[in-house]
Amino acid sequence: MSLTPATMRRLMREITELKNTPPEGIRVVTSEENMLDLTGIVEGPEQTPYAGGYFRVRFQFTHEFPTAPPKCWFATKIFHPNVSSAGEICVNTLKKDWQSSYGIGHILVTIKCLLIYPNPESALDEEAGKLLLEDYDAYCSRAKLITSVHATPRTRPPEFQTPSAEKEEESSTTSIPVSILTPVVPLPHITLPVPTSASSPRKSSPTPPSQPLQSSPANTLSSALSTSTVSSKDGKERLSPLGTANSNVAGLVAATTTKAVKRSAASTSSGIEKRKKALKRL
Amino acid sequence: MYAAMKKMAASNVLIVGLQGLGAEIAKNVCLAGVKSVTLYDPEPVTIQDLSSQYFLREEDIGKPRAASTLPRLAELNAYVPVRNLGGNAGQEISVDLIRPFQAVVLCGVSYEKQVEINDWTHQNGVHFISAETRGLFGSVFNDFGPKFTCVDPTGEQPLTGMIVSVDKDKEGLVTCLDESRHGLEDGDFVTFTEVQGMTDLNGCNPRKVIVKGPYTFAIGDTSDLGEYVRGGIFTQVKMPKIVQFKSLRESLAAPEFFLTDFAKFDRPATLHAGFQALSQFKAQHQCLPRPRNAKDAASLVSLAKKIDPDADEKIITELAYQATGDLPPVAAVIGGFVAQEVLKACSAKFHPMLQHLYFDSLESLPTTLPNEQDCQSLGSRYDGQIAVFGKSFQDKLANHRQFLVGAGAIGCEMLKNWSMMGLATGPDARIHVTDLDTIEKSNLNRQFLFRAKDLGKFKSEVAAAAVAEMNPALKGHILCRQDPVGQATENVFDDDFFAGLDGVTNALDNVAARVYMDQRCILYEKPLLESGTMGTKGNTQVVIPHLTESYSSSQDPPEKQTLSCTVKNFPNAITHTIEWARQEFDAMFVKPVESVNQYLSEPNYLENSLKYSGQSHDHISQIVSYLVTNKPLTFEECIVWARLQFEEKFNNAIRQLLHSLPKDHVTSTGQPFWSGPKRAPDPLVFDSADPTHLSFIIAAANLHAYNYGLRGETDPAVFKRVADSVIVPEFSPKSGVKIQITENDPVNQSSSDPDNVSDLVKKLPPPSSLVGYRLTPVEFEKDDDTNHHIDLITAASNLRAMNYNITVADRHTTKQIAGKIIPAIATTTALVVGLVCLELYKIIDGKNKLDDFKNGFINLALPFFGFSEPIAAAKNKFENTEWTLWDRLEFKNDPTLKEFITWFKTHHNLDVSMVSQGVSMLWSSFTDKKKSAERMPMKFSKLVEHVSKKPIPPHTKHLLVEVMLMDEEMEDVEVPFILIKI
Repeated sequence: MSLTPATMRRLMREITELKNTPPEGIRVVTSEENMLDLTGIVEGPEQTPYAGGYFRVRFQFTHEFPTAPPKCWFATKIFHPNVSSAGEICVNTLKKDWQSSYGIGHILVTIKCLLIYPNPESALDEEAGKLLLEDYDAYCSRAKLITSVHATPRTRPPEFQTPSAEKEEESSTTSIPVSILTPVVPLPHITLPVPTSASSPRKSSPTPPSQPLQSSPANTLSSALSTSTVSSKDGKERLSPLGTANSNVAGLVAATTTKAVKRSAASTSSGIEKRKKALKRL
Repeated sequence: MYAAMKKMAASNVLIVGLQGLGAEIAKNVCLAGVKSVTLYDPEPVTIQDLSSQYFLREEDIGKPRAASTLPRLAELNAYVPVRNLGGNAGQEISVDLIRPFQAVVLCGVSYEKQVEINDWTHQNGVHFISAETRGLFGSVFNDFGPKFTCVDPTGEQPLTGMIVSVDKDKEGLVTCLDESRHGLEDGDFVTFTEVQGMTDLNGCNPRKVIVKGPYTFAIGDTSDLGEYVRGGIFTQVKMPKIVQFKSLRESLAAPEFFLTDFAKFDRPATLHAGFQALSQFKAQHQCLPRPRNAKDAASLVSLAKKIDPDADEKIITELAYQATGDLPPVAAVIGGFVAQEVLKACSAKFHPMLQHLYFDSLESLPTTLPNEQDCQSLGSRYDGQIAVFGKSFQDKLANHRQFLVGAGAIGCEMLKNWSMMGLATGPDARIHVTDLDTIEKSNLNRQFLFRAKDLGKFKSEVAAAAVAEMNPALKGHILCRQDPVGQATENVFDDDFFAGLDGVTNALDNVAARVYMDQRCILYEKPLLESGTMGTKGNTQVVIPHLTESYSSSQDPPEKQTLSCTVKNFPNAITHTIEWARQEFDAMFVKPVESVNQYLSEPNYLENSLKYSGQSHDHISQIVSYLVTNKPLTFEECIVWARLQFEEKFNNAIRQLLHSLPKDHVTSTGQPFWSGPKRAPDPLVFDSADPTHLSFIIAAANLHAYNYGLRGETDPAVFKRVADSVIVPEFSPKSGVKIQITENDPVNQSSSDPDNVSDLVKKLPPPSSLVGYRLTPVEFEKDDDTNHHIDLITAASNLRAMNYNITVADRHTTKQIAGKIIPAIATTTALVVGLVCLELYKIIDGKNKLDDFKNGFINLALPFFGFSEPIAAAKNKFENTEWTLWDRLEFKNDPTLKEFITWFKTHHNLDVSMVSQGVSMLWSSFTDKKKSAERMPMKFSKLVEHVSKKPIPPHTKHLLVEVMLMDEEMEDVEVPFILIKI
């Protein structure tokens, strides 16, 4: 399998970025022998039945990458409506809504969001989907059990000893707490393109922040987030009515990648200036 | 498709004029298949005919052309009889002779004669095409009669999609599901199925569409229909289109031009006059204007000006200069095009060209034009080419060295053209051809150098021998290989090999190899000619070192992929069930078998696969099943296995799904869950009398037997008897929560998993007890009709379609979709390769300006021609130096990593943040200190071996290295690729 040098360079850049400034709760494990042998680790988000778990997501790149998405599946067992027993993941981002500007980080953030907002309507594991719809508590306990059995290591994976970028920026006024118990404040302005590419000489930023929402026409940020409000007793309220697994996810991805972009801007010496400019344009 | 083929099979085609162009048309029509092909050309073969007529040989000179062509043409397709209409030298074609034919093609016939014949065909329902090539010019005229019915103008699949509403009013607005684009255009027609409520729409007569938006369209008054409730699928109905042709007589006066190059907007009008003038010139002088003869050119110009005072003098002069020219690539372009028009006339499929086509490739002329002396006829087989390019250019051609990668459809056409052109016939010149494939039956209908007797032989060898037979000067000048191009063969295609080349031509069928060759051509700075076809569509691309971008600089958009949950649980189209069947094929006959073999052959396989605890249980239980519990000893056991697979896949799995999501399930918003794109399935009850059921058992049992090296069976009675006697275990759906749990349940893997992994492993025999024992995984091969592969996929897909009440597909359609086959057709291939060779002339001439070259895009169905200048290689800036993908930084003498990193720091004040070679990450800023310290003093050759854990092959003299650099402001700095000599 050979990728073009341009694609390899892009992967190199993405890996470096994910290693140096990983998004909250996401890490990558690389193999020096083969950069294409890539594994993501997604930390089960707090206040979900996956909390405490570390889920490995494997990637397989084809020569069509990045015009076609990489193959991507859970290598850690998980009880989730949108993940099959073989680990396949049902998300638009990985299939029909794929855009060549998306990167590994984007995929992992999407998957993390999928852990927060499952979509039982496009179930790959119909049992999990049904349970989520009918008996949220039972779904939770089952998912927790599977998480504790298969995904909870005795010690935290060493990759998570490096701090994530968000930690450094926690005081930042625009950071969005990833929590599903409080209704998330809709931040529609985040859907606007953040002009990092204009203000930064980088030829290609791995995850242009304006992309996720364009791809998924059914979702505006506000609808995705507001319908995602959780009430712990009545499972039905949590769910957006239609669409594939992405429906619930797009908003959060936008929020998270926006942060990631700001962070990378901030890490440059003139970053603060750029960020100010970016915020102005918003 | 089949209807069109049937019509074609009823058509008798006459081709008049059997020089290069006529032969090319005849070849393509024969390969495509019509009822019969008849040839008319009683004129004697001349040496000049050999310029482009590859069915003729030197020994045919003096014999009638049609008779000499016939035996070699007739070999191409046993189903198409080829006849000779006879006639005597000097006898022109006449109306009497053409009466029995449905389509008549005149090649190089005078306009006077064309009009005479066309007057009759236009009145009598015979389809008429005339065509002519003169040097770098070509002309085609179509007249399929005053009222020609075209049944499928585009050849595209009818559009279809699900709908969510139809308004009950005068307008009848239809809205598509999930905001999916309908793709329809105003004036298209649609019908419907599965509409609930407004049921009158189901199977209605085609309704005309007015597009209202990307997701909506109107179908006219629906007010007297029922109230729409839900569901429904629209399907486009292709309506026949009536095309009105003018006769040639009318058309000459008021021509309709089909533009082949938007950059040559005025040219058709000039050439319309020019070609008529040529015909007059020939009638007056009994010969064509002499090559580069000013006097003849002047008289042609004056003739043309009489027809059209605005005709471009320069172009007419060039037409006169080249009138005796006869170029194989131009014959291929026009011949490929005309053959498709013949097929359109016969089948009514695809839209015919209206009505005059004029083509030229004047850009292919050498930058320094030849003089009259240089273009004189020499009595050689290359006279047709010399008349255009001159003898000195012919010598350049003879000394040019190309590497042809692939000897399939494109490769065969390429070699044919090259042999006619006399490429590499010089004393030291060679053509290198490589193709790892052997000839298969399915190749014969388009790879025209291969015959039934060649089945199983290597393509490269047969093709090389065939074209050396066409032009004996090539004997010994074609070197054949059977090596695929790739890293594994870089010892064969090494520095010395590339040093001996002037250019590379790709004739490949896959993107990976194209990308690889592109990288090699960048490294060795060789021009690359690239082309590809898909059905009636084709494209060509020229890559010139230090000028254009490379093949990989742009990528085609990939196919949109289907969501995995759609495939797994919610199929709504036959493509979904076929994709599912293709996956099940691997899951039954490939993956578990490979796992067993890995278990048996790789030390510590289980330990390694246990690393990811999640999937190991399923994985190991599969190995146990295939190696122990379900291992068949007889073929009968394979039938039992197949019967149980049927039960599991088409009954139990569906019942399980319906248990979890019953048919009356409602969603949170109160909508029925099973609606819209989600179709509620029904389990199948096995019935050995149902041919689809039984065909699954037959195919699955045979493939399972193949896995275990057991002899197969095909007698349906055996399968019926065994399958009916199988006792199928009662199925009860797993309840939602299998494991009773509370928050306080102990969390312990072994106690929560009844069939825990270590117990499973105990069931496996140690690999040492089965030394040498292996199962045989199935390798998917779509083209073997006896291997049960497509049978299995067809049966499985159709059974699943029956589960979901989706219309089933026949074996042929299933094969096309499962094998992702877009048929390659001879017409498109011939045309595309002709275009490539027109670019090759430019490369040989050493042209070096962007606007000298053309990339081409064609679609014969519409038809459409488009050309564009290649895109310039993007310029980057590194400090004050501009660079492109063609530039490189070279390091000599195998530096150490430390030296390498220091070099960037001291010379450019750049920090290296990552270094990679191939897929190996040699070093990065996050490499830990210990490893860094170890690697810094290593020379690159050592470092690469150390990290990749593979020795560098002895033939490797340099390493391609990529580096990420940052400047003081922590911004990425792009630099050219790095070549490290070791």
